[in-house]
Amino acid sequence: MIELRGVSLRFTTYNDKYYSLKRACLDLFLRREGSNQSSFWALSGIDLTIGRGERVGILGPNGAGKSTLLRVLAGIYPPSGGRLKVEGRIAPLIEMGAGFNYELSGEDNIYLNGALLGFDRRQMRTRIDRIWEFSGLREFSALPLKYYSSGMLARLSFAVATEIDPDILLLDETLSVGDATFKARAHDRIMSVIDRSNVVIVVSHDMDALARICTRGVWIDRGVVQADGPIGDVIERYYQHVGETQAIPEGQVAEAA
Amino acid sequence: MATQVSSPTAPIPQVFPPDGDGLPGVNWFAAVLRDSRELYRYRAVLTNLVAQDLRVRYQRSLLGFMWTLLNPILMMAVMSVVFSTIFQFKKGGVDYALYLFSGMVPWTLLNMTVTESSTCIISNEYLIRKIYIPKLIFPLSRLMLNATMQALSMVALFLLMVPMGARFTPSLVLVPVGLLLFAGFVMGLSLIAATINTFYRDFGHLLSVLIQAWYFATPIIYPIESLPEELAWRFWLNPAYAFIRFFHVVIYEGGWPSWVLVSSSAGIAAVVLGIGYVTFKSYEDRLVFRL
Repeated sequence: MIELRGVSLRFTTYNDKYYSLKRACLDLFLRREGSNQSSFWALSGIDLTIGRGERVGILGPNGAGKSTLLRVLAGIYPPSGGRLKVEGRIAPLIEMGAGFNYELSGEDNIYLNGALLGFDRRQMRTRIDRIWEFSGLREFSALPLKYYSSGMLARLSFAVATEIDPDILLLDETLSVGDATFKARAHDRIMSVIDRSNVVIVVSHDMDALARICTRGVWIDRGVVQADGPIGDVIERYYQHVGETQAIPEGQVAEAA
Repeated sequence: MATQVSSPTAPIPQVFPPDGDGLPGVNWFAAVLRDSRELYRYRAVLTNLVAQDLRVRYQRSLLGFMWTLLNPILMMAVMSVVFSTIFQFKKGGVDYALYLFSGMVPWTLLNMTVTESSTCIISNEYLIRKIYIPKLIFPLSRLMLNATMQALSMVALFLLMVPMGARFTPSLVLVPVGLLLFAGFVMGLSLIAATINTFYRDFGHLLSVLIQAWYFATPIIYPIESLPEELAWRFWLNPAYAFIRFFHVVIYEGGWPSWVLVSSSAGIAAVVLGIGYVTFKSYEDRLVFRL
C-alpha cells in the first residue's frame, strides 16, 4: 500500500523568511546564488515498503525526520527526489486542528474537515451525532471556532479525526487532549481507530506504547533509516545505541515542523 | 475497499513523481487529467470554501448579500455623474450608464479574483501546511465565488436598467459564453498572480497598481471614440480589450459579435489559461515550503 524508493526531502531554510523581489534582483545582479538560504536534507534515501495490515512504529531522536516522514506520506510535503506511492485513504492525525477555519462555527468546520478527508455532507451527517456526543460540544455547535477554548478545540478536532475509518492512519505522538476523563476516553478511541485501520504508522517516543501497538519498527536518525524489523528488536537496538542509562526524553519537543 | 462500511469517494493513489518512470519532462495532458479527477474528488471542499466565504464576507453586515448588488449600483451612479457631467462625454447619462455597466461588471470580476488569488495560497497556510489538498482549489474557489457574485449583479443591474432603456436583445444569450471565456482568462491570470505572490510577497503591492493602470488602459469608463481613430487599433494590444469589447457589443450595442472577436477572445483565454496553469504547476510542489 505504501512504497517509498529512495525518497529524499530537502528543506531550504530562508534566514529571511520573505525572500523579496529586491533581494532576488540583487542576487541575480551580483551573481550570487541564493544569498540568504541554506538547505539541509530532512530525509535522504528512505526505502520503505509497508503492506496491508502492518502496524509500524517510527522511532528516533528529536529532529530525526520522523514527523517529516509522516508529512511526506500524508502528501503535505512533496519529496525532492525518489519515488513515492501511497494507496488508500489517509487519516493524518499529525497535527491538531488541521483544516479548521476559525471564522466558522463548529458544525461548519466538521463538514469542512470531513470534505478534506473525502466525505461529503451527507456522509458526514450520519457521523455528526457521534462527533458531538464524543466531544461533548453539542451546545457550542453554532459558535465560531475562534471563541472555543484550546481544550474544546482539541476535543473537537480529535473527535472528527477519529470518526472516520481510514485505510492508512498516520499518528504523531500528539494527543494530549483535554482533561483526565477525556484523556481516558481518547485513549480508548485511538485504540479503536487503530483497530479499524488497515495500516497504522505511529511516531512516538513512548517505547512501551510502540511495543504494544506495533508489529514493526523503523528507527530513523538524521533522515536515514538505521534499522527496520520487528518492533522488539528495533527498540532494543535503539536503546543500545542511545545507551540504556540515558533517559529517553519524555514528550515531544517541537520537531522539524 | 471491501472492509469499509461506508466508503467515500475513492481515493486516488498518491504517486510521486506523478508520471512514474516515463519520459523526462512533464506530460501536461496527464497532468490536466489528474488534476480534474482530483478537483472532482475534492469538489465538496471547493463548495465548502465558496459557501463559507460568502457567509464570512457578509456576516454581521446589516444588508448582507445585498451589498453585492448595492455596491456596484452606487459605484455606477457616482461614475455616471462624474463622467457624463464633469468630463462631458458625448454619450448621454443613461446611455453612458449602460456602457459603463457592461464593461465594469466583468472588470470587477477580474480585479477581485486576481487580487484575492494572489494571497489565496498564503492565507490558506493553515490548511496547506497541515493536510494534503490540491492547491488549484484555492484560486479556483476565488474565481467561482467572484464569478457567482458578478453574474448575479450583472442580472440585477441589467433588470434595473430596463426602465432606463436597456433592451432585451437576442444577443444577450451570448453573455454566459463571454463570461465563460473571460473566466478562463481571469483564471490564468490568477494562477500566475498566486504563484508569484507566494514566492515574492512584494508582488502584492505592485499588483494593485498594475491592475489600476490596466483598468485605465482599457476602455471601460471612457468610450473608444474618445481616442483619435488612428490610435484606436492600439487597444487590441491590450489582452483584456477583446473581452470587454465582447461585453460592450453584446450588452450595450445589442448586436452579434463578429467571429473575429469571438475567436480572438477564445484564443487569448486559452493562451493565458495555459500559461497560468503551466506556471502554477511548475511551482506547485515548492509552494508549501515558502509559507
